[in-house]
Amino acid sequence: METLLTIAVLLPLASAFLAFLLPAKKPGAIRALAILATGTSLTLTLYIFSQFDRQNAGYQFVKSIEWLPSLGINLKFGVDGISMTLLLLVGIVSFCGALVSHEIHDRQKEYYILFLALTTGISGTFCTTDMFFFYFFYEMAVIPMYLLIGMYGSLPPGKHGRTKEYATMKLTLYLTAGAVLALIGLLAMYFAGGKTFDMVELKRNLQLAEATQKWVFACLLFGFGFLASMWPFHTWSPIGYAAAPTAASMMHAGVLKKLGAYGIIRLALPLLPEGARHWANLLAILACFNILYAGWAALTQKDWKFVIGYSSVSHMGYVLLGIATLNVVGVSGAVLLMFAHGVMAALTFSLIGFFYHQTHNRNVPDLSGLARKIPFIGVCMVMAVMASSGLPGFANFVSEVMVFIGAWSQGSTLFRVATICAVWGIVVTATYLLWAVRTSFFGPFDEKWNMLKDATTPWQKLPYVLLLVVLLTVGFCPRVLTGIIQKSVATIVPKVAEVQR
Amino acid sequence: MTALGSVQLEAMLVTLALVTLLSDAFRPTMNKRSIGLGLAALVALVLLYSFTLQPQTTTYFHGMYRLDTLSLYFKRLFLVATLMVLVMGAEFAERFESGVAEFYSLVLLAATGMLLTASVNDFILMFVALELVTITFYVLTSFLRRQLQSLEAGTKYLILGALSSGFTVYGIAYIFGTTGTTNFDTLAATLKSGTPGTAFTLGMLLVMTGLGFKIASVPFQIWAPDVYQGAPTPVTAFLAVGSKAAGFALLLRVLLVGLLPVSALWTTLVLVLAAATLLYGNLGALPQTNIKRLMGYSSIGHAGYMLMGVAAVNALGAGAVLFYLGQYAFTNLCAFLVIIAVTNVTKTDEISGFAGLGRRSPVLGLALFAALMSLAGLPPLSGFFGKFQLFAAVIERAQTDWHYYVLAGIGAVAAVVSLYFYMNVAKAIYLQEPEAGAAPIPVSRPMRAALYFCMVAIIGLGIFQRPLVEAAVKAATVFQLK
Repeated sequence: METLLTIAVLLPLASAFLAFLLPAKKPGAIRALAILATGTSLTLTLYIFSQFDRQNAGYQFVKSIEWLPSLGINLKFGVDGISMTLLLLVGIVSFCGALVSHEIHDRQKEYYILFLALTTGISGTFCTTDMFFFYFFYEMAVIPMYLLIGMYGSLPPGKHGRTKEYATMKLTLYLTAGAVLALIGLLAMYFAGGKTFDMVELKRNLQLAEATQKWVFACLLFGFGFLASMWPFHTWSPIGYAAAPTAASMMHAGVLKKLGAYGIIRLALPLLPEGARHWANLLAILACFNILYAGWAALTQKDWKFVIGYSSVSHMGYVLLGIATLNVVGVSGAVLLMFAHGVMAALTFSLIGFFYHQTHNRNVPDLSGLARKIPFIGVCMVMAVMASSGLPGFANFVSEVMVFIGAWSQGSTLFRVATICAVWGIVVTATYLLWAVRTSFFGPFDEKWNMLKDATTPWQKLPYVLLLVVLLTVGFCPRVLTGIIQKSVATIVPKVAEVQR
Repeated sequence: MTALGSVQLEAMLVTLALVTLLSDAFRPTMNKRSIGLGLAALVALVLLYSFTLQPQTTTYFHGMYRLDTLSLYFKRLFLVATLMVLVMGAEFAERFESGVAEFYSLVLLAATGMLLTASVNDFILMFVALELVTITFYVLTSFLRRQLQSLEAGTKYLILGALSSGFTVYGIAYIFGTTGTTNFDTLAATLKSGTPGTAFTLGMLLVMTGLGFKIASVPFQIWAPDVYQGAPTPVTAFLAVGSKAAGFALLLRVLLVGLLPVSALWTTLVLVLAAATLLYGNLGALPQTNIKRLMGYSSIGHAGYMLMGVAAVNALGAGAVLFYLGQYAFTNLCAFLVIIAVTNVTKTDEISGFAGLGRRSPVLGLALFAALMSLAGLPPLSGFFGKFQLFAAVIERAQTDWHYYVLAGIGAVAAVVSLYFYMNVAKAIYLQEPEAGAAPIPVSRPMRAALYFCMVAIIGLGIFQRPLVEAAVKAATVFQLK
């Protein structure tokens, strides 16, 4: 079992090396390899999930390989309720991402190598319990992301007057800036915690003075905040997604972005409880800016991908608000929302990719009545929009409600106001999403879209159906995930609660 | 081991250099390429032979020369660099009008000087070794005799180099005058018993001036971009990898052995210089459009990173500098190999000449991309772990002195800035399309082998850091640091 987890994480990377050896003239084989690798990874993850001990809050299936004893670095993998949930997310999204990548025709070999390397970078970050490798995998996403967007992306000219080169450079620089900021904080914890990178040991050993905790927490919060697109460090995000190819948008909005929030939950909250208490109020305020500012920004967008890009920044606001509550319900809600939003964002971006590949136009006002020609995609899009707006029955609803309950029960006036802002944010979300879907999929049919073809074969439909099924399953029986999430969150938050008293 | 036995590696290189010169007198028509490749093969044998040598605890030549773990670490590093530079020389040789054999033998003589710097334990020998390296480089940098840029580079390097050598001797005289010794061990013992006055501090600063010139640290960095741009590309690579490492070998010996007891006198200075060098190198690289000039600024920036490790004055820092130099050699050599292969065809050093390299030659594109990303410090490449250790060393020191957090912060800013200009070259390689009608770029077999060797080192050391880290840590035990 321990080995299976390691395999599930490293398999995509190993396949990337294998793909490197395959001749570039056989793109079909490389594509098959990528689908097989991510599919196997997903199957293994599901198997691990089925064997997961739901009563155990700590790390399970721990496997440790001695790496650099002189610095106390071990390649260590293990999952608890939080990382299990997110590992499932990576598995699902990467598999669907590989499936929808048939739209890539040029330099396919490089494409799949980068995609697979990216997948391991993300799942490695979620599963490792060694702080060094956390950072290693976290930064490993930078190179593939830069090239995926730069080489395969597209950014239609618009008011912004930017190119995809600009978008990918901006994204890379923001992410790295955040990462090095976080690195300084991580290293400070390494030395204060007795020179160990092991997260479990750190949690036991680390005793930092309150003043130190405050600034180390700030390093981690803002450092990881860059990737979590925390306001005002979010500007890389919408344009980055808009420029990225479909699968890269799915991976980035779906999972990569969650690494930032995960870093805060995994490292900052349990290790720096007093720092968390000190910065919680500011985080809640920033979260409100995320929700409302990005929501209003989305209202003015015309490009489908920009709409969803801003929407995802806005949704990260709910995640950050959930984290700021520092209570079990709120933080668990944040984790579940990371999962739900990841699946939903992947679904939306893959649907946009589907019609954009044919229309070469994703400007909402230019599209009209598409549902007549591509009913399947239209139905899926309506479902995705309903999920995104937080309608009951979808996973997003459950998680958002958990965040609201957590924030309201936090008790302070600030958080009550924040909760009201967040609820209002849902109305904003519904406004722009319903406008976008109504304009482009319904209304009078425009003859120029007569050439559109719907997804017909089961293979074409599979990714969309899979993502929808996941959203609905978790929406109807959230206990599948909330049970294990809450158990693990409860081991993180009590330290914070102690401090609060 | 006898005293003569301790200098056998140097003796081998000198022999090779002399034989090359003589052979030119007898067979002047020999193929330009094959001499270089033959010499590279012989240097590879010397490198393999160096692994049979055991580190010695005793000193040789009246305490002037050491063959300890640190010396061996650096000697092997220099041999790898020489080997690669000879391969580059073979690729580049067509561009020399005459004197190819002299070129190779000068490279070997410079290498001999570098190997000597690895073993220096006395200011006198330090000066001799330093001059052997520097004077050969005066000739090497201006080897493209009819190119104005090359001549300009040579002259600039000559004038500033001579000036800095003058400072160094002057400083050595002051140190000898105040402490009565030029030997590093005796100096450390003398300094432990009492701190000398201002005249000694002046001498120390003057010596650091000379070494600062070698490693291209602020404020003695002005020459680097011009010389890097003008010199023949294999020489630029040798400057960036060999000469810089030689400077650091001496700096580490002088500061962490001879002057360790008075570290309070120089740590603040090194800290400030590190910060200034980081900012100068990385910000200066931003507007560059010439790849060799860019590498010149980048090499200043990397000197800044390594100075971070020196400024930390701890065991982690010393080991980190050694690891960094080791991986930096492979990374930079890889980049320069590609630059030579590409510019042989495109005849321009401008970055725009690299447009669409990923399509014109996938292996060259990948190699240059990997080297640049390693220089930028991204995982899973070796430069990442080098930077990681340097940051760790600084943060360790910051636990007792908060100023070092500022240095770490500046290092972080510099890392982000450097990512921008490295990514700009990466953009040309993969994001831009080649010019219409651009032909694929041929890669010769030795070049391909050298590239694969470097790429395996860059990626291998990025993931499995342990062998080089352990070698570096072992070498760093020579310094008595905690």
